[in-house]
Amino acid sequence: MRISKTWSIILFLPFLICFTLFLIVPFVYGLYISFHQWSIFGGNGGFVGLDNYVSILTPGNVYSNAFYNGLKNTLIFVAISVVPLVVISLALALVVDSIPDKLKVFYRTVFFISYAVSVTAVSAIFKWLFTGNGGYVNNVMNTFGLGTPNWLNDQPLAWIAILIATVWWTIGFNMILFINALDEVDQNLYEAAGLDGANWWQRFSYITFPSIKGVFVFLTIITVIASFNLYGQTLLITAGGPAQSTTSLIMVIQQVVFNQNNLGMASAMSMLMGFVMVLIVAAQYFYTFRKD
Amino acid sequence: MKKSKSKNAFILVAATLLAILFLLPLIFMLFTSFKALSESMSSSALFPRAWTLENYSSIFGVAADVPVIRWLANTGIVTIAGTALVVFVDVLAAYALARLNLPGKKFFFTMVVVALTIPGIVTLFPMFYIFRELNLINTFAPLILIYSANTMGVFLVYSFLKGFPRDLEEAAVIDGASLWQILRFVIFPAIRPVVATLAVLTFLTIYNDFLWPSVVTSADEMKTVTVGVANLVQGANFVNPGRMMAATVVATLPALIIFVAANRYFVRSVISSGIK
Repeated sequence: MRISKTWSIILFLPFLICFTLFLIVPFVYGLYISFHQWSIFGGNGGFVGLDNYVSILTPGNVYSNAFYNGLKNTLIFVAISVVPLVVISLALALVVDSIPDKLKVFYRTVFFISYAVSVTAVSAIFKWLFTGNGGYVNNVMNTFGLGTPNWLNDQPLAWIAILIATVWWTIGFNMILFINALDEVDQNLYEAAGLDGANWWQRFSYITFPSIKGVFVFLTIITVIASFNLYGQTLLITAGGPAQSTTSLIMVIQQVVFNQNNLGMASAMSMLMGFVMVLIVAAQYFYTFRKD
Repeated sequence: MKKSKSKNAFILVAATLLAILFLLPLIFMLFTSFKALSESMSSSALFPRAWTLENYSSIFGVAADVPVIRWLANTGIVTIAGTALVVFVDVLAAYALARLNLPGKKFFFTMVVVALTIPGIVTLFPMFYIFRELNLINTFAPLILIYSANTMGVFLVYSFLKGFPRDLEEAAVIDGASLWQILRFVIFPAIRPVVATLAVLTFLTIYNDFLWPSVVTSADEMKTVTVGVANLVQGANFVNPGRMMAATVVATLPALIIFVAANRYFVRSVISSGIK
């Protein structure tokens, strides 16, 4: 090609600048801040080495209590959310995929529509669906004499409400990726299997699933990452309660920045959180591809 | 043949029931916004018995205590500028990576992939601090600029370009076309579906983003609609479901309209082309 190197650099430059300014610089700066006593309003209060990290990891003080509580709650949410978010969207994709083509687009759009709804709107809707007193779900349950559970103030009901809101919000996106993957499965394989008299489950486990496994692993990984980032739903639906049992790690970090004015500590927490996420994702990735 | 027809009918019925169940939260949102306070707190019916516009007039009327129109305008500015920036930056970078002799191409590509694994929380508060030191809190700058480090977009367009034949471009080069002409008349038309997908995904991401805009806007009149309505949801005195749903309808409708209008651009495989 006769297009010069100079031009290729010029085309790449805007991205490189943005990438450096808004990713590399804050990352390095965050690492630097995490080794300092640093407040939002007072700025750098001096180098403290690993002190922030030690405080977070040594059980007993206020920062480690908050960090462990946030980490525990976040891991609970990851544990209860990833399987339904992946499995329900796959089931939905299989249903939509077997609808005749003309109608498929319509159903695909319907189930994908919640992707366009913000976490604020999702939370507002589900907060009023599940509010104990005057909430819609309890009004309906009351009509049928089913009682009025205190959804947002009792566990495990609070997690169930948050989980339902999150599933509703997220499965559409996962479903679209599954449908795209299903569209590309070689149809000849199904015909051959049909001639051999394979039943539905055999066709799924021997043809469909192996063909979409790459997308399945990718979606599981991005779902784990998304669930780790739990913030808006618990902030807006349960405000972290009852008794801080839904206070997520990002909520904890945010409180350390703004309520305790300790950016150094919060940066160390963010780094640790990032480290845990990368470890889990790497383990997932390694586990899947070692078996292949 | 008959058997497969009844099977189709069964699937259609199942899908329709699921679709209605799936749409219930949105239907609840819409109809509750037309209910008066007492009905919204006690009714187990979806449809309002007595329709009222008072929730909407309390948001938009002269006596409105929340600047919803201002929030919508802010969101409009931020999403349009942010999306344009991302598309411009990402498409050029992806083209340079996929097609041109960019020095250090392998290094940059690895960098893009590695950056995909950096969780957002790690850079969020340092970035807030930097913008704060620059006195840019409560301006449009932090609300727009940070989305431009969008490695996912580069990756998406890169993967699409990789699967697109070079012949046309080479013919254009032989004919003496300039880089601009190649981009304008060969590349851009060919990658339009992926650019549209990137634009819609970016638009919705920015429109619906919550944590970052809530951190960098403290002044009420600089909030985006997502943050503004979130404050209403959290507000202890905002205990009127009808009014909250009216605000939510207003905040959600623009994104829903854009989404439905752009839905045809989510062309088969475009999103997943980046995964394989």
